[in-house]
Amino acid sequence: MIGLILRRLIQLPLILAIIYTATLILAWKVPGNPLENPEGRRPAPEVVAAMKAQYNLDNFWSFYVSYLDSATGVRYLRHELSGESRQQREQALAAGRLPPEQPIFDLGPSLSYREQRVNEIIGSALPVSMALGALAIFFALILGVSAGVIGAMKPNSFADVATLSLSMIGISLPSFVIGAALLLIFPVWLGIGRIPSWGTPLDMILPAFTLSLGFAAYIARLTRMSMIEQLQSDYIRTARAKGVSIRGVVLRHALKNALLPVLSYLGPASALAMTGSFVVERVFAIPGLGQHFVNAVRNKDLFLIIGVVLIFSTFLVLLNLAVDVLYRVVDPRIE
Amino acid sequence: MFRLLAAFLVIALGIAATLAVSTPAPRADFTIINGGDPTTLDPIVASWLRDIRLMRCLHEGLVRSDVTKDDLPIEPALAERWEISPDARTYTFHLRRTTWSDGTPLRSTDFVYAWLRGTLPDSAADYTSFFFHIAGAKDFFDWRTAALAAFAKQTNTPTSAEKLWQETKTQFRAMVAIQTPDEHTLVVTLTRPAPYFLDICTSIAFVPVCEGVVSRYEVIDPSTARVKWDTGWTRAAPSIGAMRLESWQFKREMRLTKNPAYWDAANVQLNSMAILSIDDPVSQVMSFQTGGVDWVSDVVAPFRAEMVTAKNAFRAEHAASVDAMRQKGLSPVEIDRALPADPRKSTQIFPAFGTFFWNLNCSSHLPDGRVNPLADPRVRRALALAIDKRAVAEGVRRLGESTAGSLIPPGSIRGYTAPAGLPRDPDAARRLLADAGFPNGSNFPTIELLINKEQNTDLVAQAIAKDWERELGITTAIIVRETKVFREQVKNANYITSSASWFGDYPDPTTFLEINRTDDGNNDRRYSSKAFDALLAQAETETNPAARAAILADAERILVEQDLPLIPIFHYVNLNLFNPDRLEGISSNRRSEQQLFRVRMRTEDSPPSRREGAGGRAAAPTRIAPQSSNLSVPASASRGVLAPAPQTPNPTDAPPTALAIVEHRTSPQRSQRTQRKPSASSSSSSSSSSYPSSPSSLRALRALRGKSPSLRVLRVLRGETPSPEAKP
Repeated sequence: MIGLILRRLIQLPLILAIIYTATLILAWKVPGNPLENPEGRRPAPEVVAAMKAQYNLDNFWSFYVSYLDSATGVRYLRHELSGESRQQREQALAAGRLPPEQPIFDLGPSLSYREQRVNEIIGSALPVSMALGALAIFFALILGVSAGVIGAMKPNSFADVATLSLSMIGISLPSFVIGAALLLIFPVWLGIGRIPSWGTPLDMILPAFTLSLGFAAYIARLTRMSMIEQLQSDYIRTARAKGVSIRGVVLRHALKNALLPVLSYLGPASALAMTGSFVVERVFAIPGLGQHFVNAVRNKDLFLIIGVVLIFSTFLVLLNLAVDVLYRVVDPRIE
Repeated sequence: MFRLLAAFLVIALGIAATLAVSTPAPRADFTIINGGDPTTLDPIVASWLRDIRLMRCLHEGLVRSDVTKDDLPIEPALAERWEISPDARTYTFHLRRTTWSDGTPLRSTDFVYAWLRGTLPDSAADYTSFFFHIAGAKDFFDWRTAALAAFAKQTNTPTSAEKLWQETKTQFRAMVAIQTPDEHTLVVTLTRPAPYFLDICTSIAFVPVCEGVVSRYEVIDPSTARVKWDTGWTRAAPSIGAMRLESWQFKREMRLTKNPAYWDAANVQLNSMAILSIDDPVSQVMSFQTGGVDWVSDVVAPFRAEMVTAKNAFRAEHAASVDAMRQKGLSPVEIDRALPADPRKSTQIFPAFGTFFWNLNCSSHLPDGRVNPLADPRVRRALALAIDKRAVAEGVRRLGESTAGSLIPPGSIRGYTAPAGLPRDPDAARRLLADAGFPNGSNFPTIELLINKEQNTDLVAQAIAKDWERELGITTAIIVRETKVFREQVKNANYITSSASWFGDYPDPTTFLEINRTDDGNNDRRYSSKAFDALLAQAETETNPAARAAILADAERILVEQDLPLIPIFHYVNLNLFNPDRLEGISSNRRSEQQLFRVRMRTEDSPPSRREGAGGRAAAPTRIAPQSSNLSVPASASRGVLAPAPQTPNPTDAPPTALAIVEHRTSPQRSQRTQRKPSASSSSSSSSSSYPSSPSSLRALRALRGKSPSLRVLRVLRGETPSPEAKP
């Protein structure tokens, strides 16, 4: 077990390096100039040239290297060890200035939000997305597992068809429709909740519910499928024969095994939910991370694109690792 | 398995709980949506209208525009008075004896430092060229550019970078004609007489910054010697304007509070202002309808045309009284205020300082080698004459925008009369096209209309293409490109025709005209006319404002009546949402300039708040405000127990709302839903608005807010009984 965790953690930087390279190549190829306003007056060419030089945007390789340098903390270490940071601090203090702040892992400035650094953006947005995503996955588990179990109890019954159709709707309806409809029904018509929907715990319910529907639908289908399979297996018949109630069989025996595929889906699903959803965040005006995935690409904000992609990848790797560990806990036979 | 799920639940709720600790701040006096999150608060970086709008609350320049008047006359701001030398080159400003919000006195050197920031080549400012009106500023810019280049070549130490920066500051004082005879006088000499210099001084780049604080944020790059300012300065620096920055939570909200040190603080009614960050256009409108915000600055919801239609229907229902009031000279907002309450009247349509036009590529060949048929001005004029602009404005846009003959919105710039432009004349268009060698459009290559699909541009393009096909017999093709690709193609003149728009930056015709100057960075049309360039050059040296305006009008006439590098289609409007019964002070001037600190919340005309006190369930406290405020108002205020609110960071500056009334929760809470109903009989009784109208409970909320909760709390605090009108 510890070996597995260690192995995966050692792999993580390697995976991130590959993802970083691929993302940067793709983002670099996107047309457009991040330093220009989307509309209005263009800065003079010499100004653009100077800014490009400042951010290393004029050369792919120098950007590639300098980003790695600062994001991995190598630059910080180098400056600390060589005494350069200390010298700068002393000089700033001598001249009556505030000493420059130097984060260890510096993900760079944001090119579209000029007053924010990528570290700050992720720092403020990630907890929001994580909370929302965790709640959404929780909702999805409750909704999806119960719907799946109900369906599996009597395949092709009315209840089964109804839950199946509902989950089909959950998969098919885009969340901007569900989100806007929920906003219209609850805050606007009924006066429950408010817009913008962030600040108090109650505010999280509508967006988390919207976000959960897609996952819930998938979980319902997974649960139903494997539950039907489990209910037909021998050990269930044995359990029934020795007099365990239907309820007991389903909850204590079948469900435990039926949830294995759900568990493997939970890894990527949690990573997806906890790194934010563009649509849900936009509709409910939530200050999460999801909006930056889309907006950063739209604005060709290189630093932010790479920042959010790396965060997402880290989540994906770590949560998959968590799922693998859980697998072993649930089923010791798995190696 | 279930233990695992339980663990997951604990984690999820744990995260949620940590977030829940941060309770939202009480509702600000004035809550607005200003088109997403502010980009920057640095005056020399700002170029977005919406950022500048906020910065007008935090910063003030020597002079400012009086936004309450339609022609925006100049009025004194930080300069109490000023003298202009007879040759109109030297301006002497006498500063007000006032202080920054932290108590530091305002000094003339604060202006020098701010203008140094604006002039430096290091800081890549959009409006650096504005400072070149000051004698010596361009020389200083060139000197610094050369010094930086020289620095980059030699071997450097942090000390030498520091030395260069000190030398730069000395050079600025020596080279640039800005004198500070004393702390309260600023003397500026211009390179040549510029009658619009005061207008330039109103621009946000010219506001002072508190040197003592801001200079601490200088960061000098030891390897390039470039100086920049750590962006943290905008949050730390004191304010000279009517408000000061209290907090800025990225993508959440920004909060401004009244600056008691402001020289005109007596005329500022707002104690606090919150700027919410809501990006989604539909959510913006819904949050206004649920009472979450008081003003939405630019409505871009997909159903906004229906909102305008509903507003027009509302006006039509009261046509007689509207006409009478219009004849009395009342402004549209004043007319709305006099009409009966109705949610539809919150849709406010103001003119904007911008024009939608169609780019026509003027270069002889396209980048792919094709011969450009539009290089011939006759063809361009023919295309312009064939378009039915009215159909675009009234049939496609439906926002009440006026069709455009000129590039500059008529009446938007004091003393400037824009030319009329070309009328619609398909016959003349056909004749011109025949003259150019394409009778009935024969042999004419397919005209491409390049667009991106933002804001119904595709529909506008279809209308224009249809006119060209029908009237001129030519074939067209609409090409839709993703926004970034679109921008690249337009910038490189890799198109035949394209959609375009331009918004003015400063109140001078050149803000619109210079984009057509030969080799201008924004000349996407590759238009080049010696006559036009000569007129712009002539206007630069002309000192008589009237003569100068006439020269510029001649230049614009070349553009819109003769050469047509672009076809003006319509002048934009700005769709606002606010209830004129609730607030006043949003300006409707032609340049969309706002000074939000002038906003006043109206109280006297608001309907009295209604409470469910007399009925059988009187004891039940009603939580009317949906969590937007932690100030809950009980059924009868006298029942409330007063308790101090949670600690605010700065108790002395906290508005009276920092007191909260703790409810008596003795009665069943569930009853509140049924109780809400009776309150529905309040003011805004509407039926036929085309977008969702607000529910009764929210009307009650609005009515309550009209009565200023803070006042009520104070009254209760003093032991007075609640105002009589508060009882049903």
